[in-house]
Amino acid sequence: MKKVLGFAAAAVIIALLLLCNGHIVQESSGDGPHEESVYGSVDSLPMLISQVRKCSKLYTAEYRVHKIVTHDDVLRLKGSVLQRQFNIKLPLGDRKIAIPIDAKLKAWIDFSQFSERNIERRGNHITIILPDPQVTMTSSKIDQKHVRQYVALARANFSDAEMSAYQQQGRAAIIESIPSLGIFETAQANAAKVLVPMLTAMGYEEQQITIAFRKHYDANDMRGLLKIED
Amino acid sequence: MMKNFKFAIIIFCISLLIVAIFWLRSCTKNDYLELGADNTIDPTPTQIQSIKAIGEWEFLSVSLEELADTIRKGFLSDDELSRIYYGTLRLGINMHQVEPGWLEADGDSVSLMLPKIGLLDRDFIDEARTKPFFESGSWKPEDREALYRQAHESMLEHGLTKENLAAAETNAREQITSLMHAMGYRKVNISFK
Repeated sequence: MKKVLGFAAAAVIIALLLLCNGHIVQESSGDGPHEESVYGSVDSLPMLISQVRKCSKLYTAEYRVHKIVTHDDVLRLKGSVLQRQFNIKLPLGDRKIAIPIDAKLKAWIDFSQFSERNIERRGNHITIILPDPQVTMTSSKIDQKHVRQYVALARANFSDAEMSAYQQQGRAAIIESIPSLGIFETAQANAAKVLVPMLTAMGYEEQQITIAFRKHYDANDMRGLLKIED
Repeated sequence: MMKNFKFAIIIFCISLLIVAIFWLRSCTKNDYLELGADNTIDPTPTQIQSIKAIGEWEFLSVSLEELADTIRKGFLSDDELSRIYYGTLRLGINMHQVEPGWLEADGDSVSLMLPKIGLLDRDFIDEARTKPFFESGSWKPEDREALYRQAHESMLEHGLTKENLAAAETNAREQITSLMHAMGYRKVNISFK
């Protein structure tokens, strides 16, 4: 009887060991949501360089935009136990931050490829067909003085890396909103304000001058005309 | 008889235990626990503060990356903050600064008196693009503002050089001459104030 009990106990222990081993293999294979890699990606420090480029860009419109980037950083315990999902907000785990960003957007026309093909003359009348306007975010500034943050007792302060990530998301959101700001239309209208005085100085009457663009731009065209450095 | 009955019960219990273990294992196969927070920002509007008609003609752009850092000496250890700032200095002329009679055309000749080549905009750092490099200790917004000013000064020093201004002027001459040729003028005389 004792032998039978011994065998039974040994069988249970072996079964448990196999089970545990299975769990270990499963965890290390990284199939679950806790997938982690020992060899994670490493940020590289870019070379500190300066790049000098010749160009011929006529900036005709400047938009100053303001955005308050907010982030509600709630610590949550998420998981699944016995195939039941749960998502619990932890007490004393709140952090909030508001980062005001001021950005300058400028629309420009590239004159580097301007040639006789952009000019049409009919008698005394001159038509200038301008290249497509393009938009660049020329600068952005974090209003450090008005950055506000609330951090619960159980949490650490926002790190520089976290704040930079939110700022970069805010920058991307500003860029995303450019087609709806009307800057392309303003750029087209303002181009005439720069070029017409130049042409009148050359001897043309204002009535004889037409400043034209290739086409009317829709939202998809505008996205293609955004020139953003990343 | 009694022995066999006990033996059967033990075997039954062990089998039941093994089945229960495997059942529990299959039930908890996809179980996980995760402690964390969402890292995406909340959607907020982008507001236009001002719209301005400008006439800035850029002839040279100087893109710069500057590593700015600061160290705070402590009793036990030092704190350090390093960030990489990105900026583009745009050199050219402001067409709103031309004076009356700046362009004079006569037959196939044209003379232009252009404003001095300079920095078109002193706001040239894209601070929202800044890359954090290293942080130890706790830093205030004023410290980051000081780093920004440090990077600003450094970029001006490295980008707004005599060589770059001369290169911008040379390119301005080439580009405007080409534009005037396209307009039908053969002789182009350009001077800067």
